[in-house]
Amino acid sequence: MDEKTSSTPPPSQADITRERESFVRNFLRKGVEFTEELLRENDELRRHAQLLERDNAELRAQVKSDDAMRDVLRTIERLEQEKRNLLDRSSQLEQATRRYEGRYAAIEQELNDLANLYVASFQLHSTLKPPHVLQHIRELLAQLVGAECFVVYVLNDDGKLAIPVGSEGVAESELTPVRVGEGAIGSVCASGQSSVKQGNPLGEGSLGAPLAVLPMLVDGQTVGVIAIIRLLEQKEAWVQVDQELFHLLGAHAAAALLAAHLYQKEPDLLSALAGLSESLK
Amino acid sequence: MMRQLIVFALHRLRELEVVEADDGVDAMRKLAGSKFDIVVTDINMPIMDGLKLVKRIRTDEAHKNIPIIIITTEGSQEDRSRALALGANAYITKPIQAPQVIAKVKELLKLE
Repeated sequence: MDEKTSSTPPPSQADITRERESFVRNFLRKGVEFTEELLRENDELRRHAQLLERDNAELRAQVKSDDAMRDVLRTIERLEQEKRNLLDRSSQLEQATRRYEGRYAAIEQELNDLANLYVASFQLHSTLKPPHVLQHIRELLAQLVGAECFVVYVLNDDGKLAIPVGSEGVAESELTPVRVGEGAIGSVCASGQSSVKQGNPLGEGSLGAPLAVLPMLVDGQTVGVIAIIRLLEQKEAWVQVDQELFHLLGAHAAAALLAAHLYQKEPDLLSALAGLSESLK
Repeated sequence: MMRQLIVFALHRLRELEVVEADDGVDAMRKLAGSKFDIVVTDINMPIMDGLKLVKRIRTDEAHKNIPIIIITTEGSQEDRSRALALGANAYITKPIQAPQVIAKVKELLKLE
């Protein structure tokens, strides 16, 4: 082999130079290629980095948006709670308002009733003339109670007969004395207990069966009675204040009539006062 | 008695000053030369009744437009119709209830 090798002629200087130049060119070309590849990769990486930065910015915005959304949700929840509280409060206030309205209506009614009672009482005692007292009893029955037909009876001096002394809506021929203890009117004269029919509508009564028979009492003793036969067309039943008016009539009408009756026997006011101071001692 | 009740009711309306009259003639006398906002009258009055009063007021140039409430007796439809035909603006039937009077007056005077 040595012989064979030794037989190959040694490369010439020119060959060596060519080979070296070829190597260098190859080396440089590869260097260029490598550099270009590096630059491409660099560009690629830069683009990738830009994409990442953009994604990052989007993510950051997304997070910010989520925070804002959470704030909004929290605000909505808080407002809803406030709304619930306000609705509760409003409901409580409505209930209170209804209670106050009911109370106000009741007070209004009581005030109205008291006004009626005051006026009735005032009128009964505003005169000392028996016909005027009787006229006030009639007005009271017609205008406050709403009675259309009624008769006022007063007991005679032996207490056995109730004599009609005033009436409204009843024929003169029907106005006859009633024996105490007999019939609806006579029974109330005897017992001193009122008799009031209940119902709605009450309907119409008669002299034999009045809608109400009210005793007029002085010191628990019957002086007379009021028989209510019929109410005004627009009044179908008794109302609360009627019972109060019946009590008032029972307690005051007789006293007013009796006082007026006694007073008319006196020539003047001073004579009527005679002996009063002694009797008050 | 009814007048006293009505005055009682009207005194609840603080805006009003109430002037009372004994009958229709007295009412016309009080109306003359004064300015009133409303008249509330009973149909039954001595000397000049409520219906005549309504008629007189409606023919009086100075008061022909004044609102009038008439209190009718026993809910008589005839009285009510006559009162309205003569020019009453409203009627109230007995028995008198203060809230009813107040409500009618407020309605006609457009009070709160």
